[in-house]
Amino acid sequence: MVKAWRTLRQKRVYLAWFVLHFLLIITISCRDIVWLVAHKLTILPAPFRAAAQNVEPIATGALGDKLSTSNPLRRALLTYLHIAGIDRGYGYFAPNIPAGYKLVFELQYPDGQVEYKLPGVNSGAAGLRVATLLDEIGRTRYDPLREYIIKTLAASIWREHPGLKTVRAVFCSLNLPSPAEFKRGKRESYDFLYAYDFSLSEEPAKAKKP
Amino acid sequence: MARSKERLRVFLFPTETDLWLGLLRIGLGLHVLLYALSLRADWNDLFAGPGEGLIGRALPEALLSMESPLVPRLGWLVMLATRIGFSELTALSLAWWVLLFAGGCLAIGVFSRTSAILAWFVHLCAAESGGFVSYGVDNFMTIGLFYLMLSPLPDRYSLDQLWRNLSPKDPQLIGFFRRVLQVHLCLIYFFGGLAKCLGTGWWDGSNLWRALIQPPFNLIAPEILIRLKYLLPVGGIVICLLEISYPVFIWDRRTRGIWLICICAMHVAIGLTMGMYLFAFVMIVLNVAAFGPEFSFQLQRTPACSKSGLASTG
Repeated sequence: MVKAWRTLRQKRVYLAWFVLHFLLIITISCRDIVWLVAHKLTILPAPFRAAAQNVEPIATGALGDKLSTSNPLRRALLTYLHIAGIDRGYGYFAPNIPAGYKLVFELQYPDGQVEYKLPGVNSGAAGLRVATLLDEIGRTRYDPLREYIIKTLAASIWREHPGLKTVRAVFCSLNLPSPAEFKRGKRESYDFLYAYDFSLSEEPAKAKKP
Repeated sequence: MARSKERLRVFLFPTETDLWLGLLRIGLGLHVLLYALSLRADWNDLFAGPGEGLIGRALPEALLSMESPLVPRLGWLVMLATRIGFSELTALSLAWWVLLFAGGCLAIGVFSRTSAILAWFVHLCAAESGGFVSYGVDNFMTIGLFYLMLSPLPDRYSLDQLWRNLSPKDPQLIGFFRRVLQVHLCLIYFFGGLAKCLGTGWWDGSNLWRALIQPPFNLIAPEILIRLKYLLPVGGIVICLLEISYPVFIWDRRTRGIWLICICAMHVAIGLTMGMYLFAFVMIVLNVAAFGPEFSFQLQRTPACSKSGLASTG
């Protein structure tokens, strides 16, 4: 009798967890889809966009985004989302494939010699992670964050080449040709986005934008 | 009402054997091993502290602390290790070795539960501390390891079971966790497929083209792809339809096999053509464990469930 009651109670706990867990997954996935629609990134027409703009605050509110960052409920929720691996949606490579990015370092030596380097890793697996990092740099609209990440990458280059005078980091977006353009001879090209000059002095990086 | 409750109970707590759990444990164990080995040469560079490595973990961990100070991160392990006299680099290497060891133990089924918790924890630390360099594979590893450590381990195929001869686990609890994984996969593919269907590029093949020629995924020469350009729209549409209809066709006995094979083939193709081997491997492991051998979901007539009662049999 006691065992049966315990089993029933255990099942109710599992059921409650199941409902809560999947409610969170569905809310996060819907929030991501609604965000895409609201930001005109889908094929859906204008009325859908207007509706998505109305729904978006509800979806984000349900996930505690409007609560203060120190709110214990928000913190508990975010902790759970991270430890369960459900903190983001599943729109990989969707709705469209975004532009790739490239970061090139121009290394200038005191004798006038110039060398070009890409952020280097030792394996293909880490190479995929560097591509993710470049996407992050390209996507952010927060200039100080972009500069900080590029500066950190430049510092790693500097550690490998301690004799450098200056390092210029040039960040570009990638233009891919369509199949028809490729057939006509067009190849991938780059659009200049940002450049940063770093030197060993304490001066902040000099940023250039197009 | 009582009938609905019974149907829900039958759906959520089906009686299952632990073959799927064995597959999940072995698959994720091998995956953790491959993950650790593939990052061996770059581990310290990716996760080093301020002033060292490629990008370092200082900024991702600071941003994470703003969200929640309770999410595990490598900084905790480094702090713990430095307090007992190890250097930061030694602490990071130690974390890598623990991950490798946990992966090995999971694969053969030694201390299954402890290994699953260790693998989940150390991998989560790495994924969160390397926030800017984490991608889909980390998400799916966390999901898989999270469910694995909560599931009733050890399974009967583990060395634990062989050595310790433990009592069998509750088959309904084993079924519950399989159901959790199944429902989660359905949601992953449905929302992934929906997001793709909403983009123009998946209908005309341009997204497939862009995915395959964009560095660092450009393993196939564009000259070869150009010859197959008429297949690109077909491929794009097939991917959209396969994903969005997964939650419908994967449950039906008549279509399950073909859907499972097609989804696994899609992941093999992603792995081979884009170099995303780890991503492909973890998705295949999750799919095979969830809907692979010994899974049979069918409409059954049971006294409690009457005409349309749902039941799963092992």
